[in-house]
Amino acid sequence: MTSVPHAVAYPRPWRLGAGTQRTLIRIGTGVLLLVLWEVLVRWLAPPFVARPVTVARALPHVLANHVPAGTPTFWGSVEATVIAVFEGLAIGVTGGALVGLTMGRLRTADRLLRFYVSAFFAMPIIALVPVMTLWFGYSNTVRLAIVSLGAFLPVCLNVYDGTRSVPSSFVEVAQSYHARWWNVWFGIALPSSLPYLLAGFRLAVGRVLVGAVVAEYIVNLKGLGSMIVFDSRTFHQPQMMVAVLVLAVLGVAINGVADLATRRFLPWYRRSE
Amino acid sequence: MSTEGVRIRIAGVGKEFGALRVFQNIDLEIGEREIVSIVGPSGCGKTTLLRCIDGLVKPTEGEIRIDGTAVTGPPRGVAVVFQHFGLFPWKTVYENVAYGLRLAKAPKEHIRESVPRHIELVGLKGFEKAYPYQLSGGMQQRTGLARALATDPHVLLMDEPFASIDAQTREILQFELLRIWESRPMSMVFVTHSIEEAVLMGDRVVVLRGRPSSVHEVIETGLPRPRTRDVLSSPRFNEVRDHVWSRLMHEAEQAERELQEVR
Ligand SMILES: Nc1ncnc2c1ncn2[C@@H]1O[C@H](COP(=O)(O)OP(=O)(O)OP(=O)(O)O)[C@@H](O)[C@H]1O
Ligand SMILES: [Mg+2]
Repeated sequence: MTSVPHAVAYPRPWRLGAGTQRTLIRIGTGVLLLVLWEVLVRWLAPPFVARPVTVARALPHVLANHVPAGTPTFWGSVEATVIAVFEGLAIGVTGGALVGLTMGRLRTADRLLRFYVSAFFAMPIIALVPVMTLWFGYSNTVRLAIVSLGAFLPVCLNVYDGTRSVPSSFVEVAQSYHARWWNVWFGIALPSSLPYLLAGFRLAVGRVLVGAVVAEYIVNLKGLGSMIVFDSRTFHQPQMMVAVLVLAVLGVAINGVADLATRRFLPWYRRSE
Repeated sequence: MSTEGVRIRIAGVGKEFGALRVFQNIDLEIGEREIVSIVGPSGCGKTTLLRCIDGLVKPTEGEIRIDGTAVTGPPRGVAVVFQHFGLFPWKTVYENVAYGLRLAKAPKEHIRESVPRHIELVGLKGFEKAYPYQLSGGMQQRTGLARALATDPHVLLMDEPFASIDAQTREILQFELLRIWESRPMSMVFVTHSIEEAVLMGDRVVVLRGRPSSVHEVIETGLPRPRTRDVLSSPRFNEVRDHVWSRLMHEAEQAERELQEVR
């Protein structure tokens, strides 16, 4: 048996399915916002302010790497930021999951670390960028440290919560079948905290994008962040907006892939209650 | 229990949780091929006693030995079917059933042979890839049973395995379990709330009673094996059931009186 029982869909007096309707409404809102933007800027703002039409016109040039001489190419900037984002997610999520798991299962680790992890989580970590330039110089290391930390903290705290709330019945079953501590940690506590880890991951994506862009602004590293600063200072607003769009797409895409992967690989998720 | 050897020896066992004394002075011997049913009111410590036998909690007094060895942690060859099923929601039926074997580092060929065989034994063939959320309560409990049996235990501890299952499915499962037991008799402790079930399954029925509870009476059912549906309508079955019933009702009435006094 592989089929999943579906909720009964009641026939509606509408022609369109609920999903199609929702998509249409969403697209409609988007179009409306774009029109509003175009009209307001034309009406109220000076000509160099970006409008949807000028952004659209700039798009092919930017995508074809036509940039002012002496500045990094568009795709070069995208690549630099994207790589930093994925490195940060990889380091931060792995580290966060491991430390969160340790804190959740070991009381000593909990007492030693949780206060500090919570404190860092509550603090805007981009405030650390200037300090980090003193430690690491004006280098990519600053960005990597910021994005890794940005991913680490929410994942760590969420996995901690998850491993604290592992049903004791699962642990009892594992022990009854002679599980050793590492079987309980990695075979029970971690998989049963996956929903928490995913929630942490969503937070991490947001924080990593912010961290990467701000670090690029401040440290002036090749990437979308510095491209945005450069383009806006040189009144290339439409070009700047393309970079902003790429960041938005990146955030939505990563979370979308995470959603798809959840549905594909964790079919039990949200259904086990 | 007569000529055969003793598998589980429970001697003077008591358990306290802080100030709460759950049971005391439990003495019980369970044979190698014997099913002992345990009945008693809710909260009298049936689950706790099973936990003690499986070494998941330590008795505060007395000692439990299995095959002569004192129980200090979960012993090899003992498997539990839990009141709460205890299936892992992130594992398929196949992986849940394979859990004990994988932890025991059983050879791959053995797992590949044993897991499907036990899934078929409990009537879940075709559901190997299903997740627990896709299964009914009865199917989940079958999975739990297959997981326990797959480790080839010589002691099976069953904690109200059929309590949350509808009456028809329960009856089917009861006779399936009896059939499985006939094909590979083992030492079994069967905790239940249902007096009929206790009598149907057990060679003996242990009635726990009191607060803290202790063994109030042990009743030999004296019903023939293999047990079929005919047993349910035999005079002996009714006699034993009524006897156990009166023992427990007495207890229930007394509890009621105590409650009235408290009020
Ligand atoms: N880990 C624990 N810590 C403290 N008290 C506990 C613990 N486990 C059980 N108890 C208490 O011990 C008593 C017996 O519990 P137990 O679960 O063994 O009862 P039971 O006979 O299995 O009940 P039921 O028929 O409802 O399953 C209860 O009062 C319960 O609150
Ligand atoms: Mg119980």
